[in-house]
Amino acid sequence: MIELDARALACPMPIIKLKKCLAQNIAQNTHILMQLTDKSGLKDIPAFCQQQGLGFELLEQAPVIVFKIWRVV
Amino acid sequence: MDIIDNKVEVQNAPSQFSLIQTKGTLDWAYPAFILASTAAAMDKEVEMFFTFYGLKTILKNSHSLKVSPLGNPGMSIKSPVGPEWLKQVDWNQILPGLVWTLPGASRLATWGFKKQMLMQGQVPIEELRAVCLELGVRMTACQMTVDLMGYDTTEFIDGVGFAGAATYFTQTPENQSLLI
Repeated sequence: MIELDARALACPMPIIKLKKCLAQNIAQNTHILMQLTDKSGLKDIPAFCQQQGLGFELLEQAPVIVFKIWRVV
Repeated sequence: MDIIDNKVEVQNAPSQFSLIQTKGTLDWAYPAFILASTAAAMDKEVEMFFTFYGLKTILKNSHSLKVSPLGNPGMSIKSPVGPEWLKQVDWNQILPGLVWTLPGASRLATWGFKKQMLMQGQVPIEELRAVCLELGVRMTACQMTVDLMGYDTTEFIDGVGFAGAATYFTQTPENQSLLI
Protein backbone atom coordinates (compact mmCIF):
# COMPACT_ATOMS: atom_id res chain seq x y z
CA MET A 1 0.00 0.00 0.00
CA ILE A 2 1.41 3.34 -1.05
CA GLU A 3 0.71 6.21 1.33
CA LEU A 4 0.00 9.55 -0.25
CA ASP A 5 -0.10 12.56 2.03
CA ALA A 6 -2.00 15.51 0.54
CA ARG A 7 -2.99 17.07 3.83
CA ALA A 8 -2.92 20.88 4.05
CA LEU A 9 -3.01 21.16 0.27
CA ALA A 10 -5.79 22.95 -1.55
CA CYS A 11 -7.39 22.24 -4.93
CA PRO A 12 -5.93 21.30 -7.38
CA MET A 13 -2.82 19.89 -5.68
CA PRO A 14 -4.39 16.73 -4.15
CA ILE A 15 -5.53 15.67 -7.64
CA ILE A 16 -2.15 16.57 -9.12
CA LYS A 17 -0.34 14.56 -6.43
CA LEU A 18 -2.62 11.59 -7.02
CA LYS A 19 -2.05 11.80 -10.76
CA LYS A 20 1.73 11.88 -10.27
CA CYS A 21 1.60 9.04 -7.78
CA LEU A 22 -0.31 6.89 -10.30
CA ALA A 23 2.18 7.78 -13.02
CA GLN A 24 5.08 6.74 -10.80
CA ASN A 25 3.41 3.48 -9.74
CA ILE A 26 2.20 1.80 -12.87
CA ALA A 27 1.72 -1.73 -11.48
CA GLN A 28 -1.84 -3.04 -11.91
CA ASN A 29 -2.05 -4.06 -8.27
CA THR A 30 -1.14 -0.59 -6.98
CA HIS A 31 -3.16 0.42 -3.94
CA ILE A 32 -2.92 3.96 -2.63
CA LEU A 33 -3.95 5.20 0.78
CA MET A 34 -4.52 8.91 0.34
CA GLN A 35 -4.96 11.43 3.11
CA LEU A 36 -6.23 14.94 2.48
CA THR A 37 -7.87 17.82 4.28
CA ASP A 38 -9.33 19.74 1.33
CA LYS A 39 -13.09 19.21 1.75
CA SER A 40 -13.75 19.42 -1.97
CA GLY A 41 -11.80 16.16 -2.21
CA LEU A 42 -14.87 14.32 -0.89
CA LYS A 43 -16.40 14.82 -4.32
CA ASP A 44 -13.34 15.52 -6.43
CA ILE A 45 -11.44 12.34 -5.63
CA PRO A 46 -14.42 10.08 -6.50
CA ALA A 47 -15.01 12.13 -9.68
CA PHE A 48 -11.35 11.78 -10.67
CA CYS A 49 -11.34 8.06 -9.90
CA GLN A 50 -14.51 7.40 -11.89
CA GLN A 51 -13.24 9.41 -14.83
CA GLN A 52 -9.90 7.61 -14.74
CA GLY A 53 -11.43 4.17 -14.25
CA LEU A 54 -10.03 3.70 -10.76
CA GLY A 55 -11.60 1.97 -7.82
CA PHE A 56 -11.99 3.92 -4.58
CA GLU A 57 -13.31 3.64 -1.08
CA LEU A 58 -13.81 6.40 1.45
CA LEU A 59 -12.39 5.20 4.75
CA GLU A 60 -12.61 8.35 6.86
CA GLN A 61 -14.22 11.75 6.49
CA ALA A 62 -12.99 13.63 9.54
CA PRO A 63 -10.78 15.13 10.77
CA VAL A 64 -8.73 13.86 7.85
CA ILE A 65 -10.30 12.49 4.68
CA VAL A 66 -8.86 9.08 3.81
CA PHE A 67 -9.43 7.25 0.54
CA LYS A 68 -8.22 3.88 -0.62
CA ILE A 69 -7.64 3.99 -4.37
CA TRP A 70 -6.71 1.20 -6.73
CA ARG A 71 -6.56 0.31 -10.39
CA VAL A 72 -9.49 -1.73 -11.63
CA VAL A 73 -8.13 -4.72 -13.49
CA MET B 1 -18.91 3.50 4.77
CA ASP B 2 -21.69 4.94 2.65
CA ILE B 3 -20.26 7.12 -0.04
CA ILE B 4 -23.37 7.56 -2.12
CA ASP B 5 -23.20 11.34 -1.71
CA ASN B 6 -19.75 11.36 -3.20
CA LYS B 7 -20.77 9.65 -6.39
CA VAL B 8 -20.48 11.92 -9.34
CA GLU B 9 -22.04 11.00 -12.61
CA VAL B 10 -19.22 10.99 -15.09
CA GLN B 11 -20.55 11.99 -18.45
CA ASN B 12 -18.87 12.02 -21.78
CA ALA B 13 -17.23 15.35 -21.16
CA PRO B 14 -15.22 16.88 -24.02
CA SER B 15 -11.65 15.66 -24.02
CA GLN B 16 -10.33 19.14 -24.65
CA PHE B 17 -10.33 22.26 -22.54
CA SER B 18 -9.44 25.68 -23.76
CA LEU B 19 -8.95 28.91 -21.92
CA ILE B 20 -8.21 32.46 -23.04
CA GLN B 21 -6.46 34.55 -20.40
CA THR B 22 -6.83 38.32 -20.80
CA LYS B 23 -6.40 39.45 -17.20
CA GLY B 24 -3.00 40.15 -15.69
CA THR B 25 -3.52 40.23 -11.95
CA LEU B 26 -2.64 37.54 -9.43
CA ASP B 27 -6.26 36.92 -8.42
CA TRP B 28 -7.19 36.30 -12.06
CA ALA B 29 -4.16 34.11 -12.70
CA TYR B 30 -4.97 31.51 -10.04
CA PRO B 31 -8.35 30.34 -11.42
CA ALA B 32 -6.88 29.86 -14.88
CA PHE B 33 -3.96 27.71 -13.78
CA ILE B 34 -6.06 25.78 -11.24
CA LEU B 35 -8.60 24.84 -13.90
CA ALA B 36 -5.95 24.07 -16.50
CA SER B 37 -3.89 21.83 -14.23
CA THR B 38 -6.96 19.93 -13.05
CA ALA B 39 -8.18 19.38 -16.60
CA ALA B 40 -4.74 18.17 -17.66
CA ALA B 41 -4.58 15.80 -14.70
CA MET B 42 -7.86 14.36 -15.96
CA ASP B 43 -6.24 13.66 -19.32
CA LYS B 44 -7.86 16.48 -21.22
CA GLU B 45 -5.91 18.26 -23.89
CA VAL B 46 -5.53 21.75 -22.51
CA GLU B 47 -4.78 24.83 -24.53
CA MET B 48 -4.23 28.22 -22.90
CA PHE B 49 -4.04 31.38 -24.96
CA PHE B 50 -2.60 34.49 -23.34
CA THR B 51 -3.40 37.86 -24.75
CA PHE B 52 -3.25 41.51 -23.66
CA TYR B 53 -2.74 41.80 -19.88
CA GLY B 54 -2.94 38.04 -19.52
CA LEU B 55 0.63 37.89 -20.85
CA LYS B 56 1.80 39.02 -17.43
CA THR B 57 0.77 35.71 -15.93
CA ILE B 58 3.41 33.82 -17.93
CA LEU B 59 6.38 36.13 -17.48
CA LYS B 60 9.46 34.59 -15.86
CA ASN B 61 9.49 37.50 -13.47
CA SER B 62 6.20 37.24 -11.63
CA HIS B 63 6.79 40.19 -9.32
CA SER B 64 4.51 42.40 -11.37
CA LEU B 65 1.57 40.08 -10.67
CA LYS B 66 -0.39 41.95 -8.06
CA VAL B 67 -3.88 42.31 -6.66
CA SER B 68 -5.67 45.56 -5.98
CA PRO B 69 -8.94 46.15 -4.14
CA LEU B 70 -9.31 49.38 -6.16
CA GLY B 71 -12.36 49.01 -8.37
CA ASN B 72 -12.62 45.41 -7.18
CA PRO B 73 -15.52 45.40 -4.68
CA GLY B 74 -15.86 41.61 -4.81
CA MET B 75 -12.45 41.18 -3.24
CA SER B 76 -12.31 40.47 0.49
CA ILE B 77 -9.40 42.05 2.26
CA LYS B 78 -8.81 40.25 5.52
CA SER B 79 -5.72 40.27 7.63
CA PRO B 80 -3.92 36.91 7.49
CA VAL B 81 -2.29 37.71 10.84
CA GLY B 82 -3.50 38.95 14.22
CA PRO B 83 -6.28 37.94 16.61
CA GLU B 84 -9.36 36.08 15.32
CA TRP B 85 -11.69 39.11 15.46
CA LEU B 86 -9.24 41.08 13.32
CA LYS B 87 -8.99 38.30 10.75
CA GLN B 88 -12.79 38.42 10.29
CA VAL B 89 -12.85 42.10 9.29
CA ASP B 90 -13.30 42.71 5.56
CA TRP B 91 -11.40 45.96 5.10
CA ASN B 92 -12.62 46.38 1.55
CA GLN B 93 -16.15 46.83 2.91
CA ILE B 94 -15.16 49.19 5.69
CA LEU B 95 -12.52 51.50 4.28
CA PRO B 96 -13.33 54.05 1.58
CA GLY B 97 -12.06 53.12 -1.89
CA LEU B 98 -9.75 56.12 -1.78
CA VAL B 99 -7.54 54.25 0.70
CA TRP B 100 -6.50 51.79 -2.01
CA THR B 101 -5.03 54.62 -4.06
CA LEU B 102 -2.44 55.32 -1.36
CA PRO B 103 1.16 54.33 -2.10
CA GLY B 104 1.85 50.80 -0.95
CA ALA B 105 -1.83 49.77 -0.75
CA SER B 106 -1.58 47.36 -3.68
CA ARG B 107 1.68 45.97 -2.31
CA LEU B 108 0.05 45.36 1.05
CA ALA B 109 -2.99 43.73 -0.56
CA THR B 110 -0.73 41.51 -2.68
CA TRP B 111 1.28 40.47 0.36
CA GLY B 112 -1.91 39.62 2.25
CA PHE B 113 -3.38 37.73 -0.71
CA LYS B 114 -0.25 35.61 -1.16
CA LYS B 115 -0.06 34.85 2.54
CA GLN B 116 -3.75 33.92 2.68
CA MET B 117 -3.39 31.63 -0.33
CA LEU B 118 -0.43 29.81 1.18
CA MET B 119 -2.23 29.45 4.50
CA GLN B 120 -5.17 27.85 2.64
CA GLY B 121 -2.83 25.23 1.21
CA GLN B 122 -2.45 26.79 -2.20
CA VAL B 123 0.92 26.76 -3.93
CA PRO B 124 2.74 29.83 -5.32
CA ILE B 125 1.64 30.80 -8.83
CA GLU B 126 5.10 29.98 -10.23
CA GLU B 127 4.75 26.41 -9.01
CA LEU B 128 1.20 26.08 -10.30
CA ARG B 129 2.03 27.15 -13.83
CA ALA B 130 5.09 24.85 -13.79
CA VAL B 131 2.74 21.99 -12.86
CA CYS B 132 0.56 22.91 -15.85
CA LEU B 133 3.51 22.66 -18.23
CA GLU B 134 4.66 19.43 -16.61
CA LEU B 135 1.20 17.96 -17.22
CA GLY B 136 1.35 18.91 -20.88
CA VAL B 137 -0.79 22.05 -20.94
CA ARG B 138 -0.05 23.95 -24.15
CA MET B 139 0.48 27.65 -23.62
CA THR B 140 0.44 30.12 -26.45
CA ALA B 141 1.22 33.81 -26.13
CA CYS B 142 -0.48 36.08 -28.63
CA GLN B 143 2.35 37.36 -30.81
CA MET B 144 0.47 40.53 -31.69
CA THR B 145 0.04 41.61 -28.07
CA VAL B 146 3.58 40.49 -27.17
CA ASP B 147 4.76 43.05 -29.72
CA LEU B 148 2.12 45.58 -28.70
CA MET B 149 3.14 45.46 -25.03
CA GLY B 150 6.81 45.61 -25.94
CA TYR B 151 7.78 42.26 -24.45
CA ASP B 152 10.69 40.16 -25.64
CA THR B 153 10.01 36.45 -26.12
CA THR B 154 12.88 35.65 -23.72
CA GLU B 155 10.89 37.24 -20.90
CA PHE B 156 8.38 34.38 -20.94
CA ILE B 157 8.67 31.09 -19.08
CA ASP B 158 10.10 28.17 -21.02
CA GLY B 159 7.50 26.09 -22.79
CA VAL B 160 5.37 28.99 -24.03
CA GLY B 161 4.73 29.16 -27.77
CA PHE B 162 4.01 32.27 -29.81
CA ALA B 163 1.29 32.53 -32.42
CA GLY B 164 -1.84 34.38 -33.38
CA ALA B 165 -5.54 33.82 -32.78
CA ALA B 166 -5.96 31.80 -35.97
CA THR B 167 -3.41 29.21 -34.80
CA TYR B 168 -5.14 29.03 -31.45
CA PHE B 169 -8.49 28.32 -33.04
CA THR B 170 -7.11 25.50 -35.15
CA GLN B 171 -5.97 23.75 -31.96
CA THR B 172 -8.98 24.23 -29.72
CA PRO B 173 -12.28 22.43 -29.29
CA GLU B 174 -15.30 23.47 -31.27
CA ASN B 175 -17.54 24.39 -28.40
CA GLN B 176 -15.72 24.82 -25.13
CA SER B 177 -13.62 27.86 -24.41
CA LEU B 178 -13.39 29.91 -21.28
CA LEU B 179 -12.50 33.59 -21.33
CA ILE B 180 -10.79 34.96 -18.24
